[in-house]
Amino acid sequence: MGGASRNEKKRRQAEANRRLAAAGISVPPKRNRTPLIVVAVVVVVAVVAGVAVLLNRNGSSADVAPTYTATASGAVITAGNGPATIDTYEDFLCPQCERFEQRYGNEITTALNNGQVTVRFHTIAILDPSTTPPGYSTRAANAALCAVPAGIYPAYREKLFAEQPAEGSAGLTNDQLIQFGTELGATGDFAACVNGATNAAAVTAETEASAANPALQTNGQFGTPTVAVGGAKIDLNNTNWLKDAIAAGR
Amino acid sequence: MLDVVGTVARLGLAAVWLTSGVLKAIDPDQTYIAVRAYDVLPPIGVEVVAGILPWFEIALGVLLLVGVGIRTVGVLSVLLLLGFVAGVSQAWARGLLIDCGCFGGGGAVAPGQTAYVQELLRDTGFIVLAAWLVARPRTLLSLDSRLENTGRT
Repeated sequence: MGGASRNEKKRRQAEANRRLAAAGISVPPKRNRTPLIVVAVVVVVAVVAGVAVLLNRNGSSADVAPTYTATASGAVITAGNGPATIDTYEDFLCPQCERFEQRYGNEITTALNNGQVTVRFHTIAILDPSTTPPGYSTRAANAALCAVPAGIYPAYREKLFAEQPAEGSAGLTNDQLIQFGTELGATGDFAACVNGATNAAAVTAETEASAANPALQTNGQFGTPTVAVGGAKIDLNNTNWLKDAIAAGR
Repeated sequence: MLDVVGTVARLGLAAVWLTSGVLKAIDPDQTYIAVRAYDVLPPIGVEVVAGILPWFEIALGVLLLVGVGIRTVGVLSVLLLLGFVAGVSQAWARGLLIDCGCFGGGGAVAPGQTAYVQELLRDTGFIVLAAWLVARPRTLLSLDSRLENTGRT
């Protein structure tokens, strides 16, 4: 539509309104749609921003398959043999630990697969009181340690976070914990290890030792997840902590 | 006088949305944990809600601050707040022990540490502010009033 015909239309509309007004008929002014459009635009921009941040943070969500091996000593599982040494302290009921795994799991697995890091996974149970009945943290930690001799630790650990129960719930049953192992191809008597709480004492000892270690505390408090590089606790607000650790270990 | 009341309601609600939105946006992991704790949505739904909600709140806050489309934003605010009330109510009714995470934070809390009554009263107060703007969107110093004045006749 050209400008000329638009002006013509406007002129005729104005004339019509004048005639109506002269006849004592008032036409309600057309609603101004500008505010509505502004609202719609701003809301759409906000939603797009949210989705963009979400996609950016999750990065490549394709799972990296672990090819490293793991050995257990007490409640500490040592994976890989790279030069940078990383200690992680995690509780399988802790939601922040699930977020940590979601955010850095692939990056850590890649670094392990590439032989850049050695990771000592400290299997901690500080949230036993947060299930009803209490004790899921220890049962899950025990099952994760059972998964090491069963040859499925890396996948089993990921599974425990992927299926993490809510705090305040009953947690997963031992049967469910065993079922995961069976699905992942556990060898040996995985079920007996889970039901027998074979590693529970080691988990308790490791939890107490870690909680009492001043190097792992912030303001006198130990929590999970805690990550230490070369024995020193790091600030997880630094999203480049792993890259920095690899660079420092080189 | 009523315009002054409306202006206070508008700027007050703007401050609420901007504060709650920014606090949620700067700690996405905590926001995810807070949304997850309501135990309503599947993981992917939690991701989407936790990802979008902070920015939606900030958008409502900015729109109220400049005062554009006040009635529409008022309606959106009422709807969002009713959603929050529903979320907190179902958590309370089901006996979940959570913090609403309304202004950052959130997630599970110890027994006796819940504050459902306070959270619901606070949301009700915010709904009153938003409802005022729906019923009577005229306020001082708003972009809406300028758009009206320069509107084509």
